[in-house]
Amino acid sequence: MRAPAARNLPALLHLLRDEGFSGTVRVSGHPGGTIHLRDGLVGAIETPGAPTVTSTLLASGRIGDEDWLAACAEQPDADRLGGHLVATGLIGAAELEVVRTAAVFDGAFAMALSPPGERELGEREPVLVAEPGVEPRRLTEETSRRMSLLSRLWGPPSELTRVRPVTVAGSGGFRPDGWLTPGQRGVLDSVNGRRTPRDIAFSRGRGLYAVLLDLVRLETLGLVRWEPRPSAGTRPSTAPRVPTADASAAAPPPRTTALPRRRPGGGLPGPDPGRKGRDSQ
Amino acid sequence: MGEMSTALQASLDRLLDSPGVTGVALVDAVTGLTYGTAGDLAEAGDGPEASELAALVAERLGAAGAEGELESVVTTSTARLHVLFSVARPAGDPLLLTAGLDRDRANVALALRSLGDRAREVLA
Repeated sequence: MRAPAARNLPALLHLLRDEGFSGTVRVSGHPGGTIHLRDGLVGAIETPGAPTVTSTLLASGRIGDEDWLAACAEQPDADRLGGHLVATGLIGAAELEVVRTAAVFDGAFAMALSPPGERELGEREPVLVAEPGVEPRRLTEETSRRMSLLSRLWGPPSELTRVRPVTVAGSGGFRPDGWLTPGQRGVLDSVNGRRTPRDIAFSRGRGLYAVLLDLVRLETLGLVRWEPRPSAGTRPSTAPRVPTADASAAAPPPRTTALPRRRPGGGLPGPDPGRKGRDSQ
Repeated sequence: MGEMSTALQASLDRLLDSPGVTGVALVDAVTGLTYGTAGDLAEAGDGPEASELAALVAERLGAAGAEGELESVVTTSTARLHVLFSVARPAGDPLLLTAGLDRDRANVALALRSLGDRAREVLA
């Protein structure tokens, strides 16, 4: 189903809100994702860029794996799973509402970190939705606020999500734990030079935006660092490389044989970078 | 957030029964996202500002040598009272219950104690 003409994703969501649309909006891109609408309100967002409600509840340990599997077996309809979790006492109704709402806003933030691709409407799909859902206008405003705040505190948010922080050598004996929130302490414990903020968010069952805020704070306190970002105005040179006289003398003779041709089906695609990132935890 | 009454909305509405309370909000202490409000929004205060204030106070207290987590921040004027209560969760980032009170309609000490006790029940 083709999405109605709209100049951008927020405009499309506002249009669908007016129509009271229930269904999905699939957005291609990196990370892309699926937006689940109920009566025009945003009930859930599934994107590889941020933990879903399920990831949050399980990774944080709020609900144990066995309890979760049992609940899913007893109530296979994802739309009704939330009510079942509450009815069985695994989580309070108000707390679940908080988790589901937070996941919607975090998913929207993660999807806004890169330009969206094609949009396609689909049928309603069962998913753990926030009830009654979030107004698209509020979602847009909050996402803009988050982007602006991170830009002011650090710089381009999309760049910040790609860093792989390490703890600062020598700060091991200086951990002002009294100044740090439990969340910041957890992020500090998760930093290992390989994990991106997204990896940390998934491993701890926290929102990507919250992890980014904590990382910025930890960097300000001098407890973590990452490779310096390119300064403004510099970009990789696209000019042809001209070897110097010395370099040409030391360089091997140019290849005269052609590179081997690729054959269809001759190789498997590489692993999904996102999956690779998660596996590295 | 929509017109449908939810468990959280009902929980916040109940807090308006406390003497002198004019507005309440439940806010994410890290992101500043407001999850729900009841009563006068202006009295409850802005979510991002509340989270920034609580973080600043907690950090300054920690730097001054205070131990333990931040429990509440109370700001008073001659007519008004504004409070932030930390709401602990079994897992996940902490929340803040923000509330505005009319001092003429509330005994400050009793109102704070009552709200503090009931803040723990918001997520029940």
